[in-house]
Amino acid sequence: MPKVRLCLLVASTFLLLNSNANAQRSAIDTYAITNARIVTVSGPVIDRGTVVVRNGLIAAAGANVNAPPDARVIDGSGLTVYPGLIDSYTNLGLPEAAPSPSPGGGGGGGGFFALTPPRPASGPNSTQPPGLQPEVMVEDVIRPGGNEIEASRNIGITTALTLPRAGIWMGQSALINLAGDTPQQMIVRSPLAMHVGFTPLRTGGYPGSLLGVFAALRQMMLDAQRYRDAMQIYERAPRGVRRPDTDRSLAALVPVLEGRMPVVMLANSEREIDRALDLAEEFKLRLIIAGGREADRVADRLAKQKVPVLLSLNLPKRTTAAIPEADPEPLSVLRERVEAQQTAGKLAKAGVRFAFQSGSLTNMSDLLGNASRTIENGLSATDALRAFTIWPAEILGVQNQLGSIEPGKIANLTIVRGDLFDRNSRVTHVFIDGRPFELKPAQESPKQ
Amino acid sequence: MKQFIAKLLLVAIIAGLPLSSVRAQKQTAPETLIRNATVLTVTRGTLQNTDVLLRNGKIAAVGKNLNASANARIIDGTGKYVMPGIIDCHSHSMLDTINEGTLSVTSMVRTADVLNTTDVDLYRELAGGVTTLNLLHGSANPIGGLNTVVKIKYGRPASEFLFPGAMPGIKFALGENVKRSSTPNLPGVTRRYPNTRMGVEETIRDAFIRARDYKRTWDEYREASKRDKNLIPPRRDLQLEPLVEILEGKRYVHAHCYIVSEILMLINLADEFGFKIKTFQHALEGYKVAKEIAAHGAGASIFADSWAYKIEAYDAIPYNAAIMTRAGVVVSMNSDSDERARRLNIEAAKAMHWGDLTEEQALKLITLNPAIQLGIQERVGSIEVGKDADIAIWNGHPFSVYSRVDTTFIDGDVYFDRAQDLAQRPELAKKRAALEQAEPNRPRPKGESPQTPRRRPSGHADDDIEVEKP
Repeated sequence: MPKVRLCLLVASTFLLLNSNANAQRSAIDTYAITNARIVTVSGPVIDRGTVVVRNGLIAAAGANVNAPPDARVIDGSGLTVYPGLIDSYTNLGLPEAAPSPSPGGGGGGGGFFALTPPRPASGPNSTQPPGLQPEVMVEDVIRPGGNEIEASRNIGITTALTLPRAGIWMGQSALINLAGDTPQQMIVRSPLAMHVGFTPLRTGGYPGSLLGVFAALRQMMLDAQRYRDAMQIYERAPRGVRRPDTDRSLAALVPVLEGRMPVVMLANSEREIDRALDLAEEFKLRLIIAGGREADRVADRLAKQKVPVLLSLNLPKRTTAAIPEADPEPLSVLRERVEAQQTAGKLAKAGVRFAFQSGSLTNMSDLLGNASRTIENGLSATDALRAFTIWPAEILGVQNQLGSIEPGKIANLTIVRGDLFDRNSRVTHVFIDGRPFELKPAQESPKQ
Repeated sequence: MKQFIAKLLLVAIIAGLPLSSVRAQKQTAPETLIRNATVLTVTRGTLQNTDVLLRNGKIAAVGKNLNASANARIIDGTGKYVMPGIIDCHSHSMLDTINEGTLSVTSMVRTADVLNTTDVDLYRELAGGVTTLNLLHGSANPIGGLNTVVKIKYGRPASEFLFPGAMPGIKFALGENVKRSSTPNLPGVTRRYPNTRMGVEETIRDAFIRARDYKRTWDEYREASKRDKNLIPPRRDLQLEPLVEILEGKRYVHAHCYIVSEILMLINLADEFGFKIKTFQHALEGYKVAKEIAAHGAGASIFADSWAYKIEAYDAIPYNAAIMTRAGVVVSMNSDSDERARRLNIEAAKAMHWGDLTEEQALKLITLNPAIQLGIQERVGSIEVGKDADIAIWNGHPFSVYSRVDTTFIDGDVYFDRAQDLAQRPELAKKRAALEQAEPNRPRPKGESPQTPRRRPSGHADDDIEVEKP
């Protein structure tokens, strides 16, 4: 009987995936995964139990939970149910990156997301050039579907923080579920954070160097402070005060300066992280570090200042063949590749909060394998799972909605045959907003 | 064996091996006593068979038969020379980037924002007896960025590098670099203003007029806001704030320049606005206007004998240091190069050959004089009781090409020790071998061919070259 049910489910899932939005909304919304091992993350592991999903939410989970009569039942024998995995730093759902412009082209400005001219993604009527427009919101440009979203889903990612591709003030990110037929359905929270990158503009305009990047960031934050003060003074008593110009770029920075919105700064090396910490201290920002390759070297400061890290799992490795006559690789490079695997473990020991992210991995199927490498290098498997689930949920402020298997939370689940971090395991299903996706066996990428 | 060591040395230099060694190398002892050395005090002559006592980061005593406490480190200085740490008044070491070249006035940028404490050049400079650097912005614009004066505390956090109490400064630049003489004229590309020396003067004057207005606006606001609480404050302008500090005498100007006309132009312009130029950097034609420079109260920070590397550098002569010194200019000899910075002792020695400066005058070129130019002469630049224990022990007279540094101290701590460096190389070679065997470092069966490691130009005579350090 269960087999028949499973077949039915597969068939209906197939139908679901191929039907239009209206049909999906009115379709079955209650599921039960029975006889499964359940890793709740928030509580102890349930060796054999049932997870009930209803109306997009987790309705119940436990050893003594029964499948409701109206539920589609998935026999979970041999399967493990995890909270849906969260990738906490991506460009998922964004339009394709255009090739970067040839250097020295001069003029022309350039679109925002890839700094190329044709893309109209820069904020209309902005006072700032592309790359310095904090008012840009990823929410305005994301689209559902596409190969990248599917590739992430196939390895068990159900939720992602997605942000603009480039810039100094990169813009504001959104937390999205990797399913949904419209951008509005995908969004869990937007805007979620302000994003900063320390890459100079490549348009020939200011700031064209790292020196200028810091000066430009500072000046805009000072301008935003004044903008807020000026607006307050004006609103208190407009009569007799000359009306200040409105400015959407500066207005977008006000929640950041008031600590209402966190700022994610992309920083990998020890000195980049130190600089980000210094800047955040100077303006009392709520900082989150993204990248964090050498974050372990700044662990004391990160722990003390309670700054979390969105740690990239794009671990560096040698890509070149052995050629005896080549110069030896610099020691710093050799060390960086070895130590990058140890960063997660060291951060956990030092009490720094962190979450894993894919860090623009070219091959998403390496993601869990790289997580296993951090486990082999000092991180506990429990913490590795937390870094994909409850820790990103906490860091991003959605711990009441995501990150663990608890009644009332969004029904994002990752279901695996075997253990998640075992290289022979296979993600068989994901649930996103209570909607099941049967996954094809991961296509083996050509071995490198 | 010699060959083996030479090879190791080579590999170490190429691969930046010393990097890892130094993190552990800093040796701290509350007291260090150097016995029976030749002490080049710079201000009080050369003392034979003399002891130097370092205590709590300061020079505690200089004299004969000094006593130290029981746990002091004792160094036998017999046959050795002790001199103050060398001060390089023009350096771009440890900067991740040097020029913000997009604008003509970039006084809003700060070299302190882009420090790289792991730059291996720092270690090589320590090995040349250098302890203090004036980190300057490049020369791409008439008014460049803010400088940073650092002690080379290699292996320590960036915040510990900053020289406490050093006068804030700023880079100006004149001539060919700022008028973009070497930038190609491309059709359809607008060249950045200014393109002539006249335009350079106008750019600087315009900036100071704006700064004067800015200061007035703020002064007026502060006055008026006492009566009216509803006033919207003026905008804080990070570009103009440092220029106001210059007008108020709170920030030193270090001006890159070459020829007489631009040196005189800047003196006149500074007089017009009532501020002083602290140093003329490079000043290859400074000897022609030495009296005028001295009368303005400016110093000069120059090369010993670099010239003809571009049009504006053709009239240089190696007697520049001697002529300006005799005219009363405070002269220093700088590197403007990570390579030359390792051998500033020889640059200073050249001034004895070209122009017959005395040994003490020549020593001052790389010690007390640059200290004066950076406003740190009360702290460093000579061996005197009470000054910072920033010194180097040489195995011969520092003006000999055969001499080298044994030990370099900053604030009484050892930051370079030749014997220790050599002793730990086998251990480092082992560590390297282990790293090469680690999985992420193993060569792939198929893959790209290895890239030649990026090497930065070892020396450049002029700081317009944008070097992105890896």
